[in-house]
Amino acid sequence: MPRRVAIIATGQTKHAARRLDVTIAELITEAVTRALEDADLTLRDIDAVLLGNMEPFEGFLFPELWAVEAWGGYLKPSVKFNTGGTVGTTTAIAAYYYVASGIYDTVMAIGFQKQSEGHTQTAITTVGDPIWERSVMAGAIGNFAVMATTYMHESGVTEEQAAKAAVKARRNACLNEYAHLQMPDITVEDVLKSEMLAYPVKRLDMCPQSDGAVAVIFAEESKAVRLAPRPAWIAAVATAHEQQYMGDSPKRLAEMRSLIAASRRAYQYAGITNPRRELDVAEIYEVASFAELAMYENLGFCAKGEGGKLIDAGVTELTGELPVNPSGGVMSTNPIGATALIRVAEAALQIMGKAGRRQVEGARTALATGYGGNAWTDVIILTREKP
Amino acid sequence: MSGEEKTLRVPFLLDTEYRYAVGQYGARFFTELRDHARLMGVRCPECGRVYVPPRPVCGICYRELHEWVEVGPEGTIVGWTVVRIPFIDPMTGEQRPVPYGFAIIRLDGASTSLYHFLDETDERRIRVGRRVRAVFREKREGSLRDILHFRLLEGEDE
Amino acid sequence: MSDWIVRQRIRIPFQYTAGRVLTRFLLGLAERRIWATRCEGCGRVYVPPRGFCGRCWREITQWEEVPAEGEVVSYAVRPAEPPVIFGLIRLDGADTLLVHYLSDVAPADLERVRRVRAVWSADRTGSIMDIAYFAPVW
Repeated sequence: MPRRVAIIATGQTKHAARRLDVTIAELITEAVTRALEDADLTLRDIDAVLLGNMEPFEGFLFPELWAVEAWGGYLKPSVKFNTGGTVGTTTAIAAYYYVASGIYDTVMAIGFQKQSEGHTQTAITTVGDPIWERSVMAGAIGNFAVMATTYMHESGVTEEQAAKAAVKARRNACLNEYAHLQMPDITVEDVLKSEMLAYPVKRLDMCPQSDGAVAVIFAEESKAVRLAPRPAWIAAVATAHEQQYMGDSPKRLAEMRSLIAASRRAYQYAGITNPRRELDVAEIYEVASFAELAMYENLGFCAKGEGGKLIDAGVTELTGELPVNPSGGVMSTNPIGATALIRVAEAALQIMGKAGRRQVEGARTALATGYGGNAWTDVIILTREKP
Repeated sequence: MSGEEKTLRVPFLLDTEYRYAVGQYGARFFTELRDHARLMGVRCPECGRVYVPPRPVCGICYRELHEWVEVGPEGTIVGWTVVRIPFIDPMTGEQRPVPYGFAIIRLDGASTSLYHFLDETDERRIRVGRRVRAVFREKREGSLRDILHFRLLEGEDE
Repeated sequence: MSDWIVRQRIRIPFQYTAGRVLTRFLLGLAERRIWATRCEGCGRVYVPPRGFCGRCWREITQWEEVPAEGEVVSYAVRPAEPPVIFGLIRLDGADTLLVHYLSDVAPADLERVRRVRAVWSADRTGSIMDIAYFAPVW
């Protein structure tokens, strides 16, 4: 059996549209320094450092090489991960494996991205197969748009219901000192009137492009208990991949096969049979408003086709039965290499009771997901109780 | 945050040519398309799924695929959009002209779908389930560009 | 076997951030000055400068100038007409090595080169190429 692992500390930068005052390396150092301070540890106490990033966004290849001193990797065991949108959760899952294996006791996972250095939609378009897809594909916006029309057709979800998710996100973000987009007065009307990027996705339905970094420290049981008053235990991790072409699972939001597979596996491992009831909070990787509603269905928070009804009923508001993305989610903050790890950090903060004004009272079981272009999904479940 | 101090940006144009191998299955598909304006898929002997783009293996059954079948040239819109936001095309480094309509299209006889252009940019005229037909170019070179776009067909939706 | 190849470019314009620390270095180059930083923990002098020492894990606040002259530690020649020569240069007082072009020297004579000096571009904009190349000091 793998040994018990918990998250004991996190550190984030204040995410922003453009951090022109720092290089990528300096941005990473900020997050790492904060995580070490949060843990009251020094780099000497960290046995391995795992780094997650997507180079095509900055055009800076092999950050694990040229920024090694900035992220505390000098002469340490370390690996760089590069798995698209999921890279943050992949790095977290890897950190869990490193510690659970018994080989390393304390491991730091780092995620970062400086979207402002490159062109996000352009880089995402290179994810499209060069021979079959790239000349048609229009970045993440285009992908979500074509998926959203299918989803709306299948489920009856409306643009208005999707807009509610967009409003929830930017209002929740006002309670999160690290969030990029904070819009206390945003309304459904504002979202519906915002610029149409690609039908049905409007500007306010879509996530921003952010510069930001996050670091999360994982420790084995005895260290975790000693170092953190309330560690966030990793109760389950799961990863699943899809078929590779965009059109292979054409109902990509209506039926997110990799999310269904990964979440069911994680629920089973963690002994969860009714996620809506048994999860106290979820930090999910929702790139766009429509995706959030689809994820409710695919995660089993409600029946197929009922995603719109769930948000109408207020179930996923901060005050609802199952708060989703109290941090403001991806729709408020999206430095892609960091984003999925931010989900993990935010879920951990909830368990640890350190989520400040966005704290869900009494959170004992939290879900974090990572999303990689529909092609793959990571799921992590954190609990207050030792697994 | 950003601070009032003005800092420098260092420009760099990443500009590399790649030589992507099309592979056996792609070669067969594009040869048929170029020479006969025919679209082909491959069928899995176990589950019966017909794959477009064609590929060596059915990922679900993990069986080798050898049975070629014709698909299309008509199909159904599974999902669609009209791209209006300008963005830089990574294939050129320049802005791709917008607006343009594109869709996920399930060709008749295929189990999976293809991304391709639509001949329409008016959102009010496109819907999931609309029937479409491939419009082939006169001069074809063996690529998906040999299909100019898919034309929306009038009449009953599927 | 098919050998069908599709040629396609990936072409994306990037804008790297110099940040506060490197901006000061780059603007210094425009003035024909080379700025470095010295870590108060380990004493390492960084060129280009850094605001943070990754080995000591501490902020660096001490700036100093180094001369635009130093030792060639290593070099490599890319065969071309004319040949392109890269050097690893330790400027006097620095602990790190700078990569830059070497010129005004034939490849055959590189073995004999010990010290080099920066040759500045006439047009300087705040870029590493404000130094056109390093030339031998015989």
